[in-house]
Amino acid sequence: MTIREFMSDDHRHCDDLFALAEQAAADGSLTRARSSFGNFQMAMLRHFLGEEQTLFPAFEERTGMRMGPTQVMRMEHEQMRELMVAAVDALAQDDAESFLGQLETLLIMMQQHNMKEENVLYPMCDQQLAAEQDSLIERLQGDLQTA
Amino acid sequence: MQALLSYDQSPPLSAPLRFFLTAPLFLVLAGALGVLEGEALFASRWTPAALAATHLVTAGFMLQIMVGALIQILPVLAGANLARPRLIAGIVHPGLALGALALALGFLQSAPGWLHAAGVLLGGSLTVFIGAAGLAIFRVPSTSPSIRGLKLSVIGLAVTVASGLFMLLALAGGWAVPLMPLADLHAAWGLGGWAGILLAAVAYVVVPMFQLTPGYPAKPAWRFPLLLMAALLLWSLAWAVSAEALQRLAQAALAVGGLLFVGQTMKLQAARRRARPDSTFRYWQGALYASLLALLMLLASAVHPPLAGVPAWMGVFGVLILLAGLSAFIIGMLYKIVPFLLWLHLQPLARPGKPVPPMNKLLADKDGLGQWRLYLAALLLAVAAAIRPDWLAVPAGLCLMATAGWLWWNLAAGTRNYRRARLTAVSA
Repeated sequence: MTIREFMSDDHRHCDDLFALAEQAAADGSLTRARSSFGNFQMAMLRHFLGEEQTLFPAFEERTGMRMGPTQVMRMEHEQMRELMVAAVDALAQDDAESFLGQLETLLIMMQQHNMKEENVLYPMCDQQLAAEQDSLIERLQGDLQTA
Repeated sequence: MQALLSYDQSPPLSAPLRFFLTAPLFLVLAGALGVLEGEALFASRWTPAALAATHLVTAGFMLQIMVGALIQILPVLAGANLARPRLIAGIVHPGLALGALALALGFLQSAPGWLHAAGVLLGGSLTVFIGAAGLAIFRVPSTSPSIRGLKLSVIGLAVTVASGLFMLLALAGGWAVPLMPLADLHAAWGLGGWAGILLAAVAYVVVPMFQLTPGYPAKPAWRFPLLLMAALLLWSLAWAVSAEALQRLAQAALAVGGLLFVGQTMKLQAARRRARPDSTFRYWQGALYASLLALLMLLASAVHPPLAGVPAWMGVFGVLILLAGLSAFIIGMLYKIVPFLLWLHLQPLARPGKPVPPMNKLLADKDGLGQWRLYLAALLLAVAAAIRPDWLAVPAGLCLMATAGWLWWNLAAGTRNYRRARLTAVSA
């Protein structure tokens, strides 16, 4: 398995959790939306953590590029963290409309971010980090399971 | 590597937005032409009014948005950075907009001067665009069906422009060359090779992304652009040797290819996991059904050519493929791209505890849904007008003007909300 495949699979997993949360809110069940969104947020944060603590440092170490693409990805993670906080706030105020609005923004932000990672950054990682691919995936697996 | 290092360099907001904000006005003009010249417009494909209206929709509306969107999405979709996007947009946008106007005027008044001007403006600006986009995209290896599709679509655009320029010169200069078979070929390359393949290349990415559907199956996705390309090359060969049977075969292949793509997309949309049908979804749904009908008509007339001579056949086909099909896909995309871009460009101004307005506060989806309903009414009227232009061309034209004006208003309002949010954030 490549880094690209492993991490892309986790993107799809986050998409699934996102869809459940959105569906719940659209059905009018804010209780269900809270718990599904909680699951989604948790999965997202673990994914970010895996990248920021394991994958990106390895890439930066190997290539010497610290201010390059990984920096942009970190910045986009920050934007998504804020969007998730805004969505939680909307839920706390029982504002389904505003929650769904935040989700819309979050979805596109997330998808264009994933696209850049899956099409550009992960393939670069596979290329640059071929030697340590297996051990990296093992560590990433750990990151995704325990936050 | 080059692309990776700089792929955060998103083009300035004005580069795509200027195209998006002028394009709907060309749809308004097409509607106005329906009001003023309705009967002539639907009498035949070759009347000055029909040629002018067709190109207001294709070169004025569709092409402008596709070019603007490509400037924005090439880096994200393919990691292909357009060199100097602001400069390219600054050259291509006025050239395209004025060129499309000159073209429509040239057709309407059969005026060689306007046709020459259109040739210079469209030829010049599109050469710059094709050069810049080609340079960016052909440097990137084809690692996905989407990237291969983007490359082929740029080739499709180049053939469309070249054949169009040749016909403009022939028309303006009164050359004694048979233009009708070449016009068919030009339309096939423009709608199939450029718009069709580009649509697929973008759909491969955005349908799963915006609708949370399963992905397009890989093998058909890789082959679809090649199939269209092969059909178009066959059509070109048929034109060169004047082989009518071969042309019909190519037309049928093009139709079947298109139908496979439409069928696949419908199947994916049926498996979408998003809860609410938003305006993008509605537009795509409508566009898929319209394309299905249009492609069946294209197939039927390839099998049985006299059908194309049935009164109203070409008029209905034109409305279905151009307005109800391709333009609707494009508008559906705009309702996602524009609010997201506005939001994205506000992001640098966000401060802790002071987030920027979310997308739906910049451009509300209910405005898009309302505009879609009126668009649907305009489409139904336009199809009916192709059958009874004496009664219905005026209401169809008026309705198209209204819904296109509404589209423009929605996009402009989004831009105004963006400016207001910017001012608030800067002065805060």
